[in-house]
Amino acid sequence: MTHDEASDLLGAYALDAVDGDEFTELEEHLETCPRCRAELDDLREVAAAMGNSVEPVPEGLWSQIALRLPDRQEDEEPPPMPRLAQEARTPFRAPAAGTTRRRRVMVSTIGTIAVAAASVAVVLGIGLVRADNKVSNLQAASPAVTAALRAPGHQLVVLDSSTSKTQQAKVVVLPSGQGYLVSSALPSLDKGRTYQLWAIEGNQPVSLGLLGGSPGQAAFTMAGATRPTHLSITAEPAGGSVFPTGPIIASGTV
Amino acid sequence: MPSIDEVSDAQLVTSIARYSEVALAECYRRHGGAVFGLAKRVLHNPADAEDVTQEIFLRLWNQPDRFDPARGSLRSFLLAQAHGRAVDAVRSSSSRRQRESRDALRTAEAAYDLQREVWDLAVADQVSHALGELPEEERRAIELAYFDGRTYREVAQMLNQPEGTVKSRIRNGMRRMRAVLADAGVRGVDA
Repeated sequence: MTHDEASDLLGAYALDAVDGDEFTELEEHLETCPRCRAELDDLREVAAAMGNSVEPVPEGLWSQIALRLPDRQEDEEPPPMPRLAQEARTPFRAPAAGTTRRRRVMVSTIGTIAVAAASVAVVLGIGLVRADNKVSNLQAASPAVTAALRAPGHQLVVLDSSTSKTQQAKVVVLPSGQGYLVSSALPSLDKGRTYQLWAIEGNQPVSLGLLGGSPGQAAFTMAGATRPTHLSITAEPAGGSVFPTGPIIASGTV
Repeated sequence: MPSIDEVSDAQLVTSIARYSEVALAECYRRHGGAVFGLAKRVLHNPADAEDVTQEIFLRLWNQPDRFDPARGSLRSFLLAQAHGRAVDAVRSSSSRRQRESRDALRTAEAAYDLQREVWDLAVADQVSHALGELPEEERRAIELAYFDGRTYREVAQMLNQPEGTVKSRIRNGMRRMRAVLADAGVRGVDA
């Protein structure tokens, strides 16, 4: 198949609309042609955008997937690592490489929640507002905060400084798990640092999100933490941490 | 504007490669609805769409290295896989049919974030706008191929047009959409 023939087929191929010999020949061509691969990647993004209609997933589907995950053996070689073209820019530290190859449930819980929290801010940053990697830029926190403070069953948590006993921040948590940073008296941090909010469950910190260097009101969800005993704030490098690295600046009992 | 969000997804995939079930659960929470939605749209059958969704996430678990973040977002990758699998099922036309981690379960079944939903809706809006901008025959050919799982040759037959014409229309239409979406600031989904 010539380059031009292959290139002509790329649109159809991106839609999975090529079959038979043409399909095989096109795949062979793609192996050797970076130009076609690059165009294909672009066209696939277009296809994905068309197919991007999110539906609520059926209940129980995840459990079926989880049950089918093959058990891994301790001595099994891990599969090849994915290439991480942009790894260098990730602000998150990878979970520490340990000796065991068992699934690291707890470590990655914290890691993935921190990752998820940061990406929420970023999604908004691209689409809607310029979010400076802050949870506090989530839209319309203010009327929501007012509503939360009037909602039945809300709990107000006051976070005190661990050293000076002055009130540093106020958080309201609803029975649904939705929470808001209501106000904060935290001093502004240097550029390159961010406050990070944690739920402490037993001895496990679960990241609830980044508050930015000078926190205002912010929305978060307690979804990752079922029965936290404390809410705490630490100062972390911009981009947040998987596990708190700084001292607890403010903390309150839930 | 390749964003940190892609990095986060890539980070999740790294954790999957280290057998983190929670990371897989988080991928499912973020992208499960989109995978299921597309499969259902092509297959017109929720049960078959569930099968495809299961298969796609099991495949991600077993072969995380197949995802290359340099080539696009995880959402696009998963949707491409789901589409391919759904189309296979349509074409074979035989539309066929405890150890789970508590944390993973909780992660996976936690609500889809409002922020992502807003973003997805914004993308959907841009896409229908971009589709609407296309000449009728390009749009029709693309929709038949993508949503009905037809090959471009089948589309040509259905529309009673030469195969070469349909092939070019699909490609031109896709490129046009890409330009419209890029103007609107959409760089792939979930970017």
